[in-house]
Amino acid sequence: MKKGMHNKDCTCWSCPAINLAGKVDFRACGQSVEQIKKFQDEKGGGHIMAECRRRPELGLYDPMAITFQECPEWQDTEYGYLLKNMRVMILGIDGYLGWTLALWLGKLGCKVSGIDNYSRRNWVKERGTHTVVPIARMTERLHAAKEVLGIDIYFRELDVLDKVALTEFLKEVKPEAIVHYAECPSAPYSMIDFEHAKNVQSNNVIGTLSTLFAIHEAVPESTLIKLGTMGEYGAPLTGRPLFEGFFPADAVLKWQDKEWSLGGELTPRDPVSFYHISKVQDTFNVYEACKYWWLRSYDVMQGVIYGVHTDEVAADPRLRTRFDIDEWFGTIINRFVAQAIVGIPLTLYGAGEQIRGFIALEDAMQCITRLIAKPPEPGQYGVVNQMSGYYKLRELAETVAAIGKKSFGLDVQIQRVENPRVESERHPFNPIFSKLPDEFGFVQKDNIEQEVSRMFSLLLQPNIKSRIEEKRHLILPKTWWSGQKKEVERIELYK
Amino acid sequence: MNIKILNDYNFEKEVLQPKTPVLVEFWASWCPPCKMMEPLLDELAKEFAGRVLVAKLNVDQYRDLAAAYPVMGVPSFFIFKLGKIVSGPHIGAQSKTRLQKIIEEQMDRVG
Repeated sequence: MKKGMHNKDCTCWSCPAINLAGKVDFRACGQSVEQIKKFQDEKGGGHIMAECRRRPELGLYDPMAITFQECPEWQDTEYGYLLKNMRVMILGIDGYLGWTLALWLGKLGCKVSGIDNYSRRNWVKERGTHTVVPIARMTERLHAAKEVLGIDIYFRELDVLDKVALTEFLKEVKPEAIVHYAECPSAPYSMIDFEHAKNVQSNNVIGTLSTLFAIHEAVPESTLIKLGTMGEYGAPLTGRPLFEGFFPADAVLKWQDKEWSLGGELTPRDPVSFYHISKVQDTFNVYEACKYWWLRSYDVMQGVIYGVHTDEVAADPRLRTRFDIDEWFGTIINRFVAQAIVGIPLTLYGAGEQIRGFIALEDAMQCITRLIAKPPEPGQYGVVNQMSGYYKLRELAETVAAIGKKSFGLDVQIQRVENPRVESERHPFNPIFSKLPDEFGFVQKDNIEQEVSRMFSLLLQPNIKSRIEEKRHLILPKTWWSGQKKEVERIELYK
Repeated sequence: MNIKILNDYNFEKEVLQPKTPVLVEFWASWCPPCKMMEPLLDELAKEFAGRVLVAKLNVDQYRDLAAAYPVMGVPSFFIFKLGKIVSGPHIGAQSKTRLQKIIEEQMDRVG
């Protein structure tokens, strides 16, 4: 395989610019082939044909006849063939990932559109905190994207829960891929109290349901890239592998001297907060919608994200993406770096022996691009585990402390505190994450040391450091899974 | 990919005419067990190269063909030899060892 050309043999069968025509019978989805036979008897034989919206002159033809490599609409890029001026819509375009992806895809030549209702800004404001890397208002962001990078982004302020308005916008833009980041991404935020749990679950679950119905009505052939989390699987104490969504063909259930194949069945989920539960419910909603309506989706089980860098967000201060460090919205490595800078010991919960999968911001952008480039087939619900490695949290704290000391002359300590969460603190962890490299050509570009150094360099800038200082009292957790609100006690401090 | 993709035009030549056994999977793109079988079938195709053809037919695209055989659900596996079904349908995801066994049974048979 030529590097980056993971999608050269894909055909019009999986191209989002194709209408399926001819004898399409959606009743057959997920049902017995007897249904097909009934349809044959009633309507006569025939094949599913392709009809290209970009090249209508082709008329009706065999969807397997043209590959992406042969089609002039699919153009060679660093991340595989991409549709010329591919229309990509980002739901949640104002967030940490959404804004970064908008600039990244815009630079690659995609026609980017997006929606947001500024929920993330409001949730963060509600907790009395702020993004420590200052971010511009959306109007200024859009202006700077045009001025600095030459990118036009078509933005609309819209709530993903507003299914009617979302459908209208989809019909207007007709995106060929939709990246769904419009969810509340915080476990502790969902554990504050009933109101917060309810808001996270309704925003995430009903928002995704609204998205599915809107796609079905407006652009059923578009690819939906949906953000899930590795946390959907939990961390089973047996150490069984965390497969990519489904059991492999060879997996067998053995019970009372009998055997059954588990191949292709969804693997067990074991979510660990009301937020993670919302993600599991999403998984089932998307899985079923693909079956019922032949929608096409990749569900991305993302490891814990960290980092600040892509070339595009670093091009101008007005293009920076947000960076949260508080107990609700700060992810662990991002929080460690902020703590190191303002002299708070890097904080581990409980034993600190928990193991999690991780991925850098820039690598996550690459993965999403590669998924967009190799769209799922009609009705396909695919799952990828998106991470570049997995680490014990204690080891990560030690890595961040070592970089802070060695490269930036900081005096960094590490502490263990009571664990406010209900989770295993010592457990095996055996994630499978080979699909992105093997089938989509993903090559890890950033390592933790490099990205952590970039984070220190940015966060040590005086204006950002002072913004961390202002909110330092919001870094240590006070939200307990038990429902209590109290400070955590220190168990151990070490250098 | 080592799996032969079947369609209306090549089904007769690739599946019905050969004297050697042909393993055919009837599949659909909305079927997760079918997608999970892909890497495994690819391995089998490599393993049995030159002796047994491993092939697959999309039941949505080629309904006429799918309707001509006793395909009750997907994935369904059959072994064809000299134009006839000699094994199958084997319905649902199959382990590699099971498919190997099904193929080898037919290879051992004379004629």
